[in-house]
Amino acid sequence: MRELIQPVLTIAGKDIRDALKDRFILLMTAFLLVASLVALTVAAIALKADVATYIEAKAGLIALGKDAASIPDPAFYPLKLLRGFVEHVEIIGAIIGILIGYRAAASERGRQTLALIVTRPIAQWQFLAGKVLAGTAIISAGLIIAFIVAGIAVTVISGVALSVDDIGRLAIVMSAAGLYAVAFFLLGFVCALWARKLPNALLLAFTVWLSFVLIAPQIGDTLDPDNQVAGGVFKQLQIAKPQQIEILQSFSTYETIRNGIEVASPTKHFERLSFAVLGIKDTYAGQPLMPILAEKSSDLVWLLAIALALSLLLFVRRLDPNRLSKE
Amino acid sequence: MSTFVVQTSHLTKRYGDHIAVKDLSLNVEKGEVFGFLGHNGAGKTTTIHMLTTLLKPTSGTALVCGKSITTDSLEARRHIGYVPENVRLYDTMSARSNLRFFAKLSGVEDADRRIDETLEFLDCRDLAPRLVGSFSKGLRQRIGLAQAILHRPDVLFLDEPTSGLDPMGIKTLRDLIVRLNREFRTTIFMNTHLISEISRTCTSIGVLNQGELVFRDTIEKVTARYGSESSLEELYLSVTPVQTQGAA
Repeated sequence: MRELIQPVLTIAGKDIRDALKDRFILLMTAFLLVASLVALTVAAIALKADVATYIEAKAGLIALGKDAASIPDPAFYPLKLLRGFVEHVEIIGAIIGILIGYRAAASERGRQTLALIVTRPIAQWQFLAGKVLAGTAIISAGLIIAFIVAGIAVTVISGVALSVDDIGRLAIVMSAAGLYAVAFFLLGFVCALWARKLPNALLLAFTVWLSFVLIAPQIGDTLDPDNQVAGGVFKQLQIAKPQQIEILQSFSTYETIRNGIEVASPTKHFERLSFAVLGIKDTYAGQPLMPILAEKSSDLVWLLAIALALSLLLFVRRLDPNRLSKE
Repeated sequence: MSTFVVQTSHLTKRYGDHIAVKDLSLNVEKGEVFGFLGHNGAGKTTTIHMLTTLLKPTSGTALVCGKSITTDSLEARRHIGYVPENVRLYDTMSARSNLRFFAKLSGVEDADRRIDETLEFLDCRDLAPRLVGSFSKGLRQRIGLAQAILHRPDVLFLDEPTSGLDPMGIKTLRDLIVRLNREFRTTIFMNTHLISEISRTCTSIGVLNQGELVFRDTIEKVTARYGSESSLEELYLSVTPVQTQGAA
């Protein structure tokens, strides 16, 4: 057993040390942190304005003679502040995943070391597993730091300590983010390992990123009838959920196509799951975790299936020696 | 028991309609320094890629130390050391870290002691703590050679080992190859297109032309028959007629 695992750990260890010296990856991770903190600050400013409005309204009602105890306290969900953070993870997290994956193969090809490694007495799967393990570890470490910083920032900004339930929700979203970023890592790795020329690999990976991270969810959102009015058509017209479902049945073909475009995007699956678990989407705010997880399990399964499909693609194909060097 | 370290039989590699290596049947004996000579694109690197298990042959068989490169490739690799052309290694790591990495992958026990011995043998122990990125091409090639012999392979494959080196670097590397062969009895399989390299380093020669082996003999016999290095050049040109007439 030790003989099987040792080469995997050797390759992973080398890759992790190597990535920690890569300034570009460190810079991108720092950018994710800064962008997330900015998003949280913006959300906090908006929240502060809402709180000020509430206090002003409450004072007005009391001045009009209303009993203070009869005015309900506002519902406050600190995790809702993480909307911008989740959106940054969707976009920048995917880019970081692609770059780490690309780097895992491109750095070896550029130095001609890939040929040296695969002529050692190790199996191809051990080499690939080492690379995937390193990529997963690097991505996980980055996400753990980002989520801890985000959690602390939410606590500091909102002045409300996160409950155990909140921390559990953050951990679930962090795991989903890990799966999501690892899928993009695999994409970058596969492209850089198989492309005839390395720049083509990056081009291909970013074309996929553009299509599935930006374009598909955007098309899905734009075509959503509920998004045609700010705040949602149904909400503005005060149409209840059962009626909403009834109305949408008339557009079932349209909705199938629209939803099909959306679900083609792993980003959308990650977003649906995260927004529901963190209560960012109003429907789920304050709802218990388990029913949400049960409802959104298909999104988690999709993310898992995408990562598994890319892994399968990676592990079944034999490495081509003509792709072992830069050109 | 066979004394052949490399045995190929009708080894062929095709890329679509193009035949890179055609029907190659070749034996290299233990302790030989075999020079594989040919023009650029003759199929030398493809042959080395097949023998180092990087590339699957289209047909034919090849054994390295009695192990099939296709059905027993993992075992075959235990006997192989490989230095590709222009090896760069990991720039941001020291020579020792680079070598430790490859030693671990090769399953070398007590890696640090073996690294010291190997660097001592290559007269470059002082390079161990330095970053490989700061090395000249010659020094890099020497560390490339070190990684290939850490596990004391039976056969060392070198692809154009002196390519791009200055005359001093070429001489140093040639001397090391000869010493390696003498002291460790390592069989050397060396690709080159330099006749001077063959005449000064090798004990036997094979000439590949357009994927086909067109000449194979010991340097001793060739020298006895043809005399000087310039005659070796004439021999080479005479067995590779198509390319000498300007064909690619």
